[in-house]
Amino acid sequence: MLKAAVKFAIGIGAGLLASAVSAAPTGDRVAGHVPKQNQQARQAPIGDSKSPPANRWWSPGEGTPLAPLVPYPDSFGQVGVLNAAGAIETRGHPFFEPIGTNGRACVSCHQPANAMSLSVEMIQRRWHETQGKDPIFAPIDGMNCPDLPPGDPKSHSLLLERGLFRIFLPWPPKAADGSSIDPEFTIEVVRDPTGCNLHPKYGLKSANPMVSVYRRPRVAANTKYFTHNGFGVFSFIGKNGLPATRDPETGLPSSMNILSDARQPTLKTQAVEAAITHLQFDGKLDEERLARIVAFESQLYTAQVSHNVAGSLIEADAPPGLGVYNLAKGREGLLGNNVTNFVFPMSEAWQKPAPSSDPEIQRRNEMRASIARGHDVFMFRTFWIKDAMHLNTVGLGNPTKRTCSTCHGMHMMGMDIVNGWMDLGTTNLPWAREEPLNPWNERKPQMPLFKITCKAGVPPHPFLGRVFYTQDPGRGLISGKCNDVGAIVMQQFRGLAARAPYFSNGSAGSLRELVDFYDRRFNIGYTDQERDDLINFLSAL
Amino acid sequence: MNRLLVTLALVGSAGAVMAAAPPANHRNFVACPIVRDTSTVPCWLAEYEGETYYLTIQTDVSAPVNPPWLGHKVLVEGTISDEPRICGGIVLKPVALSVMQELDGSCNTMLPAEERYNLPFEPPRPPGPSKGRLAFGDPVTQPKSEQLETSKSFELRYEFDSLVMFRHAQPLQQIFEYARQSNATRVQITGYRAASLLSNGQLMQEDKQIGRRRAEQVAELLRGAGLTEAQYEVKWQDEAQRAKGVADAAMRRVQVVVSR
Ligand code: HEC
Ligand code: HEC
Repeated sequence: MLKAAVKFAIGIGAGLLASAVSAAPTGDRVAGHVPKQNQQARQAPIGDSKSPPANRWWSPGEGTPLAPLVPYPDSFGQVGVLNAAGAIETRGHPFFEPIGTNGRACVSCHQPANAMSLSVEMIQRRWHETQGKDPIFAPIDGMNCPDLPPGDPKSHSLLLERGLFRIFLPWPPKAADGSSIDPEFTIEVVRDPTGCNLHPKYGLKSANPMVSVYRRPRVAANTKYFTHNGFGVFSFIGKNGLPATRDPETGLPSSMNILSDARQPTLKTQAVEAAITHLQFDGKLDEERLARIVAFESQLYTAQVSHNVAGSLIEADAPPGLGVYNLAKGREGLLGNNVTNFVFPMSEAWQKPAPSSDPEIQRRNEMRASIARGHDVFMFRTFWIKDAMHLNTVGLGNPTKRTCSTCHGMHMMGMDIVNGWMDLGTTNLPWAREEPLNPWNERKPQMPLFKITCKAGVPPHPFLGRVFYTQDPGRGLISGKCNDVGAIVMQQFRGLAARAPYFSNGSAGSLRELVDFYDRRFNIGYTDQERDDLINFLSAL
Repeated sequence: MNRLLVTLALVGSAGAVMAAAPPANHRNFVACPIVRDTSTVPCWLAEYEGETYYLTIQTDVSAPVNPPWLGHKVLVEGTISDEPRICGGIVLKPVALSVMQELDGSCNTMLPAEERYNLPFEPPRPPGPSKGRLAFGDPVTQPKSEQLETSKSFELRYEFDSLVMFRHAQPLQQIFEYARQSNATRVQITGYRAASLLSNGQLMQEDKQIGRRRAEQVAELLRGAGLTEAQYEVKWQDEAQRAKGVADAAMRRVQVVVSR
C-alpha cells in the first residue's frame, strides 16, 4: 500500500508541541484514517436541506442562547443539560453553527433534548416535520448509502428505524501517521443491504476502499469522565499490552474511550474528524473553533433530572450518583466497582425510605426504593460472564462469576475505567440481533454482514475461532487485530431515558430490550422484580 | 534496527530429551480446565490421570495466576504442595497456566457448588465489587524515583506459544518509564523460545519462530509507545532443549536490558 499522501489545504499547524515522547511532529496532519474519509466526504452529494426550528429541536444556527440548566421531557421524566460555565451564546458558536457544507451543525446529532445524543423518536419526528429535508438526512451518512434517492424512507431506513448513521472507515486501516496497517484478518462482504460496502464509488472495492458500518451517535457531554487520565491510563493498553494511542500534541497516552472504536485520542481530534465526516467541512477545522467546541463539550453535563414517579433527582438530598449537579461535582478517573466509591452511589434515604401515609409520597418512595434495588442488581447480582473478548481474557478467566459493574466500573459513568472496548456480542454473531428468516417474515435483514477470516500465523479469535461473522468489526477496523473484531467501546449510562435505542448498532429498542439482551446473552435468569428494578435504575441515570 | 541473529544455543544436544521426566512432585500436562462454583468465587480445576488438581480461584486482574478459559485446553505446569485439598483438588503451587490458542468445544465442564467443596478461606476478591483495593495490589505501579543505574535488566514471562497480552502492560510500562527517566540510549532485547517437559515424558515445544516474534514485538511496542530515540538491538535464542520439567515456564521470556 502507498502511504496516504493526502494533505489538507486548510488548517493551521497544530503547533509542534511534540514532547520527547511523541513520535513524529504532527504539523497539520490529522489521524491516519481521516484524509481517506475526507476524500469520500467530498464525493458525496449535498442536498439543499433546511432545518426549520421546532419544539425541543435545536436547528443549526438558530442563535438562541442555551440556558445554564435546561430540562427536556423524556419517556421516564426529564433529562437535563447543565452548562457548568453558565449560559452559552450559541450564535457564531462552532458547535451550533452549520460550519460545513451540508447545513448540519454538531448540535444536529447531539441534541440537548436527547442527552446530547439523538433518539430515533426525534429522528422520526424530524422526518415528518421536514418531509425528510432536515440536514440530518444528508446523503453522506444520513442515508444508507450516499447515492440512493433522497426523500425516500427506504434510502434512510437505518437512520429512521434504528437511529444509525453511516460511519465510513478506510480498509486496510491507517496508523496515526497515515501508513497502512497490515490487518490480521480478511474481510468479505456477505450481505450488503445498504449497497454501500460493494458500491463502486463508496465501497470496499472502490478507488478509495471503505468499509461502511452503522452506528448510534454518542453522548457529547460529561466528557471529563471519558477523557480522564486517571486510573489505568498508561502508555500500554491494560487489555492487551499494546501501545495506547496518544494525544498528538502532548504525546501523552489517551484513555481510549471516545467513539465506538477509540479511533480518536482526544475530543479535539474527534472534532476534526466529525467536521469532515458529518458536516462535510472540507479540511481541518481551525484551532480557534476546535478550542471552542472542546471547551463547550468539557463544561457540559447531562443526566436525568427528574423521574416521573421518583420525583426530583437534583434536590439536595438526592443520591450522590444521580442528577447533573452531582455529575458536575464528581471525580473523574475513579474506579467505582467497589464499595468505597461505587459506580453510581445511592443513599440510605432512597434504599429505606420512611413509610408515609400520603399515597403520593408512598408511591414516590416505592419507586425510589426500586431504583436503589436496581442499583444493587447492577452492582451485586452475579451471573456467569462468558466468551466476552477483552473481559474474560484480562485475568478473570472464562467464564467469570461477576456482575454488570465488572464491565461497567467507571465512577458516575458506567463505562470501562480503562480502554473500554469489549466484545459483548452486540455486533458479532451468534449474539447480534439478526432478522429471523422464514417464509412468513417479509422483512429483510438491514445490517451489513461481514465474514472475518483470521489469517494463518495469528491465533484464532479466542471465542469465535478463525472464521466468524459480524455486523460491525468495531475496534478491529482500526487496529486490524483479529481479536478486536466486534469489540465496541462501551458508552456512558447517563441520560439513557432520553436516547433510545441502545448499543452502538441500536439493536436494543428500549431499556427492557437491553436488559433482555443480557438475560439471553449470559443466561442470567432475572426475576420480574429484578428486571423491573434494574430498568427503573437505568431510567433514572 | 540492528538485528543480530544468534546461532541456536543448544545446551545438551539432541537425544537426551525424551529420556528425562519431571520430578515426581511435578505435574505438567495439557487438559480441559474445569470450573467449580462455590458459595463465593469459582475454583479452577483440572484432571490428570484420574486425579483432580486445584489450579486457582477467580480473583481480579492483579492476580499472579489467572484462571484459564473454558473452550480451550490449558497447559498446567505445577508443583504438588502439601496444603490440604481445595475444592476437592490437590493443590498445585506454584503453578503456571497457559491457555492453548486453538478452540476446543469439549472443554465445557461447569460444576455446581457443593457444601463440601466450599473454599476454606475468604477469597481476596469477592465475585463482585471489591472492598476498595485490588486483590494483589495495583496492576501498574509507578517506579520509585530511585538512583538510576547505568543499565537495568527486565524480564517478561509468557504463556506457552504466546505473545504480549494484558499482563504485560505493567512490565512494559516499567521498562518504558525507566528508559525515559534514564534517557536510555540502548535497548537490548532477547526473545527466547522454550519448551515444557510434560509429566508423560513428552517435550512440548513452542512455535519455532516464537523467540524472534517475542523479541521483535517488544521492540515494536516500545517504539510504538514513543521510545524512538534509543538504539535497539534485537536478538533471539532457542532454549527448547533446556526444559527439565521444573520451572520450564520461566524460560518463556524476553529479556530487556536498558542502558544509558
Ligand atoms: C450526522 C450526525 C452527527 C453529527 C453532525 C456530529 N456527530 Fe458526533 N457522533 C455521531 C456518531 C454517529 C457518533 C458515534 C460514532 C462512532 O461511534 O463511531 C458520534 C460521536 C461523537 C462523540 C463521542 C462521544 C463518546 O462518548 O464517545 C463526540 C465527542 C462527538 N460526536 C462530537 C461531535 C462534534 C464536536 C461534532 C461537530 C463537529 C459532531 N459530533 C457532529 C454523529 C454525529
Ligand atoms: C462483558 C462485559 C459487560 C457486562 C457484564 C455488561 N455489559 Fe453492558 N455493555 C458492554 C459493552 C461492551 C457495551 C457496548 C456495546 C455496544 O454499544 O455495542 C455495553 C453497553 C451497555 C449500555 C449502554 C447502552 C447505550 O447505548 O448507551 C448499558 C445501559 C449497559 N451496557 C447495561 C448493562 C447492564 C444492566 C449489565 C448487567 C446486566 C451489563 N451492561 C453488563 C459490556 C458489558
